[in-house]
Amino acid sequence: MSGTDTGALGALLLADARLPTGGHAHSATLEAALEAGMPEDRIADYMRARLATVARTEAAAAVVALRAAGRPDPDYGPVQEALAARTPGRALREASASLGRGLARLARRVDAAHPAVCALPTAQAATPGLRPLRPVVLGALGAVFGMTAEQTARAVLYEDAQTVTAAALKLRPGDPLTAVRRLLGLSADIEGSVRAAAETDAPHGIPAHSAPLIDRWAEAHARETRRLFVA
Amino acid sequence: MPENTVVTAGPSVRRTLRLGVAGPVGTGKSSLIATLCRELSGELAMAVVTNDIYTDEDARFLRSAGVLAEERIRAVETGACPHTAIRDDVTANLDAVEDMEEEFAPLDLVLVESGGDNLTATFSPALIDAQIFCLDVAGGGDVARKGGPGIGRADLLIVNKSDLAPYVGVDVERMVADAEKARDGRPVLALSRTDEPSVKALCDWVREVIGAHRSGAHTPQDPGPMAPHAHGPGGEGHGHGHGHGH
Repeated sequence: MSGTDTGALGALLLADARLPTGGHAHSATLEAALEAGMPEDRIADYMRARLATVARTEAAAAVVALRAAGRPDPDYGPVQEALAARTPGRALREASASLGRGLARLARRVDAAHPAVCALPTAQAATPGLRPLRPVVLGALGAVFGMTAEQTARAVLYEDAQTVTAAALKLRPGDPLTAVRRLLGLSADIEGSVRAAAETDAPHGIPAHSAPLIDRWAEAHARETRRLFVA
Repeated sequence: MPENTVVTAGPSVRRTLRLGVAGPVGTGKSSLIATLCRELSGELAMAVVTNDIYTDEDARFLRSAGVLAEERIRAVETGACPHTAIRDDVTANLDAVEDMEEEFAPLDLVLVESGGDNLTATFSPALIDAQIFCLDVAGGGDVARKGGPGIGRADLLIVNKSDLAPYVGVDVERMVADAEKARDGRPVLALSRTDEPSVKALCDWVREVIGAHRSGAHTPQDPGPMAPHAHGPGGEGHGHGHGHGH
């Protein structure tokens, strides 16, 4: 698959909410945030906070995974470990692993023989009990498609913001067109995080930006029985 | 083909039959699954995945019915899109099915209950091997006639709660005949959990499909896309949607 001209298309595919990899059942912890009393007029702030913290860390991890995927005999162990260590909440690690699982199923279908795909078990081997995290698999897919570091980082960040946007439309009444404008209003935040993430070249360089409230909300959500979104 | 299916030159060799149960809300899908668990869990190793829209209510109903060990009943969230979760993006369900097949191996039968949605939602063969579409007499005798992919082409159509027919003014035989006409000979079963012969017929059908699945004689069918829109005279309720053939 690599060597063919699929980089730009891959970037669009990975950012498309219609990609059948399980994302539609996720809210990027928005459901839990609203449940905990976050006012809906703070949704843009919530997205901005994610772009500066958890999503930024994930984007950097995806770029490091992309770089690992491009080496001979790729080993995702170090990036998987580094990202797991920077994701303190168990609920968020499991949500990421669940999304990674859907992406890995896609990766195997796209090109099971690609070295970047064959190496995915090295991630799990480094963190027993935890499947490859979403950014790790996304980096692998980025390598399969021939995406750049910027494209890979942007896919992570855009998708994070769109996950919140799509979930918001299910959780609180609102005009979908207004939601698009809200997302466009974050373009400077997205691009800033894209640039920072694209420069990351080693696991130790992945920033440890966690967001304690998001961690707490996600943990509470995991114990809920009334919920629309898994996380 | 589901991801963990081992495909040889011919038929699938996965032991477990993945059986979907779809149909509008309130037609008795959970009750039908409870009946299957009660009747068959003695002879078959079973597990259930439920798709609730707002809660894990269906999973809790099944657990409280005591017809299957609690850990064999799992609920998945559908992000408020129950039709997406069984058709356009089956990831969450497939993950749950694969997990249970691994955890409780060897399983004979996994039942996947769709979130009660509407007449148009059917399972993709990427998730299940065969599917039951469930209607009930209380929904009205004309529903079967209205058609749709599930009514027309699910592997089995259930007309549930047949015992209620006298109270809701529905002629069950007529409703079954209408359904049979819409289904080109595919089976239709009037079911009531209090009517033993009908329960036996349901169980026999499931056993038969498991046998056909294992022997390779059964091929998963896609009932097709969402029901087509009517486009003036002659276009009503038949054929395929917008250029999407089989």
